[in-house]
Amino acid sequence: MMASAPTLAAWPPLVAVAAGPLDAGLTYNTLVVLAGVATVGFAAGVAGTLALLRRRPLVGDAAAHATLVGVGAAFLLTGRRDLPTLLAGALVSAVAALVVLVFLRRIARTRDDAATAIVIGVSFGAGLALLAGITARGLPGGAGLEQFLLGHTAALTAQDALLLAAVSCATVALVAVAFKEFVLVSFDDAFAAAIGRPVGLIDTALVALVAVMVVVGLPAAGAVLVTALVVIPPVAARQWTTRVGRMLLLAGLFGLAAAVAGVLASTLRPGLATGPLVVLTAAAICVVSFAVAPERGWLWRRSTLPAGEESP
Amino acid sequence: MTVAAAPILEFHDVTVAYGRRPVLWNVDLAIAEPCLFGVIGPNGAGKSTLLKAALGLVPVVGGYVRFFGAPLARVRGRVGYVPQRETVDWDFPVSVMDVVLMGTYGRLGWLRRPGRRERDLARHCLDRVGLGGLADRQIGRLSGGQQQRVFLARALAQEADVYLLDEPLAGVDVRSQEQIFQVLAAVRDEGKLVVVVHHDLRTAAEWFDRVALIDMRLVATGPTAGVLTPDNLRRTYAGRVELLEEIGRAVAERGRTP
Amino acid sequence: MSPTDGTGLVADAGFAFHGWSMATAAVVSAACALVGSFLVVRRMSLLGDAIAHAVLPGIAVAVLAGGRLGGPLVLAGAVAAALVTVWLTRAIHESVGLAEDAGAGVVFTSLFALGVVLVTLFASQIDLDPQCVLFGILELAAFDLVPLGPFLVPRALVTAVAVLGLVAATLLATWRLQVFTAFDQAAARAAGVPVAAVTMLLLGTTAVATVAAFEAVGAVLVVAMLVVPAATAELLVHRMPLVAVVAVALAMVGACLGWAAAWWLNTSAAGMMAVVLGGFYALAVLLAPGDGLVARGAAGLGLAWRVAREDWLARIWRAGEKAGGAGEVARPRPRSALERAAAAWLEWSGVVESRRGMVRLSAAGLREAETVVRSHRLWEAWLGRHAELPLDHLHPPAEWVEHHLGAAMRERIEAEMAAGEADPHGREIPREAGNARGQ
Repeated sequence: MMASAPTLAAWPPLVAVAAGPLDAGLTYNTLVVLAGVATVGFAAGVAGTLALLRRRPLVGDAAAHATLVGVGAAFLLTGRRDLPTLLAGALVSAVAALVVLVFLRRIARTRDDAATAIVIGVSFGAGLALLAGITARGLPGGAGLEQFLLGHTAALTAQDALLLAAVSCATVALVAVAFKEFVLVSFDDAFAAAIGRPVGLIDTALVALVAVMVVVGLPAAGAVLVTALVVIPPVAARQWTTRVGRMLLLAGLFGLAAAVAGVLASTLRPGLATGPLVVLTAAAICVVSFAVAPERGWLWRRSTLPAGEESP
Repeated sequence: MTVAAAPILEFHDVTVAYGRRPVLWNVDLAIAEPCLFGVIGPNGAGKSTLLKAALGLVPVVGGYVRFFGAPLARVRGRVGYVPQRETVDWDFPVSVMDVVLMGTYGRLGWLRRPGRRERDLARHCLDRVGLGGLADRQIGRLSGGQQQRVFLARALAQEADVYLLDEPLAGVDVRSQEQIFQVLAAVRDEGKLVVVVHHDLRTAAEWFDRVALIDMRLVATGPTAGVLTPDNLRRTYAGRVELLEEIGRAVAERGRTP
Repeated sequence: MSPTDGTGLVADAGFAFHGWSMATAAVVSAACALVGSFLVVRRMSLLGDAIAHAVLPGIAVAVLAGGRLGGPLVLAGAVAAALVTVWLTRAIHESVGLAEDAGAGVVFTSLFALGVVLVTLFASQIDLDPQCVLFGILELAAFDLVPLGPFLVPRALVTAVAVLGLVAATLLATWRLQVFTAFDQAAARAAGVPVAAVTMLLLGTTAVATVAAFEAVGAVLVVAMLVVPAATAELLVHRMPLVAVVAVALAMVGACLGWAAAWWLNTSAAGMMAVVLGGFYALAVLLAPGDGLVARGAAGLGLAWRVAREDWLARIWRAGEKAGGAGEVARPRPRSALERAAAAWLEWSGVVESRRGMVRLSAAGLREAETVVRSHRLWEAWLGRHAELPLDHLHPPAEWVEHHLGAAMRERIEAEMAAGEADPHGREIPREAGNARGQ
């Protein structure tokens, strides 16, 4: 796919002056996109850590698969295919899927695991049907929506990247501010409720953060694989530290590295989707963490004689 | 005419149901004076449920619970809680100090972080329960007795007037049990009410000032020696109350009359 | 991907085309639903999802090594990938102490990503492409024909039938073991059933079914075919062979309907099949007898009606008792709309006779009212005896328990009491209707 680099003339005059003698939009654009993707990766790792601590690491899976319906619907309803519109649609359908999930569990009394699988399969099917229908009818602008399946950043404009970065920063800021509340509820929700914290509200906020990150991560990783960006970095980070604050930071850094590396790797060959490469990078970091991390890593345990305390 | 002070903790005609199935029937219990109070009964008889109902963790379908004559929402700062140990994931990446500091969150509110005062208080509470040197250890690397004492220290950090403890001695070795009871007795001597859900009759007879026998309903309550009689114990422990369970099930299944 | 996109296939959509496509889809769904019944009952839907994703690298490697799509090498590759998934998930869980689903999430997304990369990199050498992997190519099944005896049949259908046979044979051969393990793993283990082997067999069968479904609907929708029909069947029936049978039937019907809908709407068959199956599930949630929302709502209304009716009758009876046993009393005032309706119905049906502002209970009404009051007072007596409750605490609980005490329970309570004993308030307890003397 051809990247459509915005010409400098499209930017506000201040930026045009700063960019100066740079070879126009292409370099600048790539940098901004990379920065945006990096922020997204960081925030996804942070949000995923909260979910892992709350023992619901796959909560974003249903949301992620449901985003396709929103993307297709947004396009059909508005006729526009700029990123903000499509992601807004994705967010609506992701939230709807989570509401359906809660409904299935509480009111229809479906088992947890079956409910998640049902929402994943049916919503993804609906999304596929919608997108395929759009493609089949050859609607103008409808081509290329499949990029949301496996991720594709080459077509991101700098403005899009800035939007993604802004949302990601807001997510991280919220986590920083309410950090101790999230940890309190994740560790011991009975105690949290006893001291008067609205546990349901905090849980909803946590799930909402994950849903937002899943949507924001769509360009980088695609609907099928974006939950990996939320699940894998925290698992890797857990190997290195026993302090929550450091785990959050490390997970963010791992997510950042995975996102950036994946996006860069995808430029090596035309036609490579970014999602699988982002996930493979994250997985590699995870494997290394399992092997090498002090105290919990396999290599470490092999080489240390069994002594004193064993981590449970 | 003198007006009696409100009891410290009062259950008035409290019925608790899980879903539609009642598990506690019409419990009427008032504790007026600070003491070491035991809640005793068979497994699954509703002892923990009673505590959780007091804290608003399970909904009460009939009656009410009051602390110092007021609903919990008004006096939360005066009620401390030690939940059951199994509810927690001890692999969680927090240290002992982090956990005890959580006891101060009630007073800190949402935005403030724990500061010097809170840390000093936490260290003091850790000393009281005998875990002084372990503030920086990750909680998964503690023994069962130590974990239980961390929970106790957290409750003490709440600086409450009433403490509700749910099976604080489950899975704890005998020596740690003694230590914990000593701490609880000291708290009672400071003029606080300490309510403990407990499973062991022998130690109950030794340590508690007053007890309540619970088996889906209140069987008896009062000073320990007078309540733990063979007759009462038989009514509580032998022959579970099938009638209550059957009716509970019938109600749960929407009026299928048994 | 639809039948009229740029592949140049114009819909010579005759009977053969639709027939073959639907047959393939139906057979594939049947195999998945059969396996899925066990997965759902054993709460292993997540593992089914994981395997469906994780088989991709196994298939890719097998095809690279020369295997044919749907051939034995590919099936072996899929099973190997499934086993690796399970092993890795277990290993992570044990060595790292991480929740099972976090480990599964790491493993299957990584393996799936690996598979996609392999498929993309070696696209020229493999017959798969990322489109196929994600959507399936059911639409092309009818054109990829192989000779089978004198006939030309779609290769995908041959594969699907072989897979269905393999899956069915495996499950039927170990049926009782599988069912036992599914419903009570602890008891099965205690009875000497090799639970681990049984589970591995189930997971291997899942992998095999996944391979067939892969080609038809692609990786992600396999989970829909594994889980949704089985979950729907569970809402409708509750015993095992029936659950599997209903699941398979629903899956086959859903597959055919999905294909038809996709054709009519000009969109992806895989997607529409998932949507149709989801529609079945939604219908079951609404309409299932007993567990469905409609049934539950009706039961709730029925209960509320009965309570209102009994309350009304008991009020009239108590008014009569208070007036010294008078038969006719002033009509009370209904306390709610439902009670008003119940009162009107009772009067219309003659259970309560009404005349100029006064009401009287008919014989039937008298029996019913006495039963309710009897339940109420028996319960107060029981509570008063067994719980330390003051007198004024006995009435409210009896108010709602009175509607749930049946004849057998009343007998048991009464057995505890002395003959002719009154309730804690000193009031007489009405005799059981139909008994000549009390007790």
